[in-house]
Amino acid sequence: MSQTAALFLDAYRDLNARKMFWIVLIISTLVAASFALVGLTPTGFSILAYDFPSPLFNRRLISPAAFYKLIFLNLGIDWWLTVFATCLALISTASLFPDFLAGGAVDLYLSKPISRLRLFLTKYVCGLLFVALQIACFCLASFLVIGLRGNAWEPGLFLAIPIVVLFYSYLYCLCVLIGVATRSTVAAILLTLLFWVGVFAVHTTEVALLMFKLDEERTLASLDHKVAAAQAALHQASATAPSTRQATLQSRLQEAQEKRADFHFKFDRPHRLFYLVKSVLPKTSETVLLLQRQLIRRADLPQESSPRSDRGNHMAAALQDELRRRGWPWIVGTSVAFECVVLTIAAMIFCWRDY
Amino acid sequence: MPAIVSVTGEPYVVDLRDVSKIYRSGALRRRRVQALRGVNMQVHRGEIFGLLGPNGAGKTTLVKIMMTVVRPTAAAGTILSRPIGHKPTLRRVGYLPENHRFPKYLTGRQTVEFFSALAKVDRRTRRRRGVELLETVGMRDWLDVKIGQYSKGMLQRMGLAVAMGADPDLLILDEPTDGVDPGGRRDIRDVLLRLRRQGKTVFINSHLLSELETVCDRVAILVQGRVVLQGTLDELTIAKQCYFFELSAVDPWSAVRAALPGVFDSAPGPGAPWRGRLSDQTWCQFDGTFLRIGKTEPADVQDILDALRRAGLVIRRMHPLRPSLEELFFEAIKQPTA
Repeated sequence: MSQTAALFLDAYRDLNARKMFWIVLIISTLVAASFALVGLTPTGFSILAYDFPSPLFNRRLISPAAFYKLIFLNLGIDWWLTVFATCLALISTASLFPDFLAGGAVDLYLSKPISRLRLFLTKYVCGLLFVALQIACFCLASFLVIGLRGNAWEPGLFLAIPIVVLFYSYLYCLCVLIGVATRSTVAAILLTLLFWVGVFAVHTTEVALLMFKLDEERTLASLDHKVAAAQAALHQASATAPSTRQATLQSRLQEAQEKRADFHFKFDRPHRLFYLVKSVLPKTSETVLLLQRQLIRRADLPQESSPRSDRGNHMAAALQDELRRRGWPWIVGTSVAFECVVLTIAAMIFCWRDY
Repeated sequence: MPAIVSVTGEPYVVDLRDVSKIYRSGALRRRRVQALRGVNMQVHRGEIFGLLGPNGAGKTTLVKIMMTVVRPTAAAGTILSRPIGHKPTLRRVGYLPENHRFPKYLTGRQTVEFFSALAKVDRRTRRRRGVELLETVGMRDWLDVKIGQYSKGMLQRMGLAVAMGADPDLLILDEPTDGVDPGGRRDIRDVLLRLRRQGKTVFINSHLLSELETVCDRVAILVQGRVVLQGTLDELTIAKQCYFFELSAVDPWSAVRAALPGVFDSAPGPGAPWRGRLSDQTWCQFDGTFLRIGKTEPADVQDILDALRRAGLVIRRMHPLRPSLEELFFEAIKQPTA
């Protein structure tokens, strides 16, 4: 136990010595504090002493609590924690393993009565602690801003800590693998960012294909409905209607049946392929959505809504339903499975290599 | 496996048997470099043991195998009576690696305490020992200074303190005096001798032959992954010990040939060194000024001394001569199968 405590203390000292750690921490706190500079007025919103009239954001339309929660959700989570702070955290922590594995440094650790696996896992957890600390500071600052300015105390905001750490761990495990394999900080950062972009591209493509596929299903249902309607009309008219009317209905039915027969799913196969690829990759975007859903539910945050056409509304709703059907066991389970596989490979390289 | 014991009946502190290491690299790991080829080496309790060898001989690989930093291709034997690679035993082993890189954000005191904690030393002991050890290596005034500000010599001193942090029974030092000034070297030597007096075993891997010669009880010379010589300095040099004469005469070559009839008969003319054997097959060598005879006892050279004087040679000086470790080393390198 004293060994683990010593390693954690050393990680703290290491982070403490890294200027980047303090820079990110200060920026995080400033970002959260900057939320407090924005205020709601009856006609719009204000930043410091300047008023900006707005028909969308004013005290008559939205309560201060909902306003600050909306900022936290859309800027704090969507942009700061899961994009900018993550990039900064990657840059800060990517050198942990390459530095550790440098000649003359790792010998000092490996020659102690501590197993290589334990050493590896402790170092890995230390890297995640960096991010946990950053997120905790940001959440605490946001909690205070929403509480003091919006008069709503929402401990549910702290749910962001484990979920964003989980999100970060998907990328960090790969960063560690590359760092262990190449012992290069630059390679670890660049390849991890490339992988992240790749995961995002796969996610975006899969969602787009899913939307097209849902649209096709909707079209198919519409064609089936037309065939059924034509059949019913023909059946109803067969006894009483004149033969010309029956011929018209017959031709309509035939036309509907031909259209139905000509219909083929074009997006089903590509979607399945992308879904398969996505299944084995970590779900970064879905994990963030999961966090948003949880925050909306637990911290009484406002739901995002935007005006759409009927068709757009229907499609968006169908897409949301489909995405919601992918529950947290699939999102987190497959992502953690990916992380476990990557970490196992990294641990094997670390444990079996000669230094 | 029964413990293998030394002639004194005590188990060896380090007993390496058939240690081999092949490094593989390249595509499909097909390129092989054999760093160690069945190394056998024994170190007794309470001695200072020196490991010598030219660059690339496999010394650091051997030390790293002992410290579990490198995995051997094959290895038998024990360290502190436990199999090589037994992690818990490392608690009793202190190690100073070559070209070490201690975390620069720690102070000297924090470094010693941190690595002692990794060696499972309790908090109170490591706090007390941290200061004591840094004082021992002459770093009293630098306890709370970040080691990023230390010089190379100071880092070596602190590394020695770190290696001693857990009060180990065996201390393995890889180039401990690298970058240390003469004063620092003397201090380190004093620390090593003090450790020996305390019954600790010290294993040193170094290039500095003269330093090893002054502190080591036993040495081993490693060449191309094999131990070519191993033993105490007396054991290793006994075959090379001789009596040394510095002679002068008008014609020393003729005088020596006359003094030692039959010995240099087949030798070429004056100029090139002569080599020959006495009637009892003792070797002797003459180069025009210096005569070396493979005898070690004074009584054995009295007749030769008389013969030289009778032949008109002036004996400017004579004394028994033991080859230095450096001479042994270079001979071993030249003849790796010796």
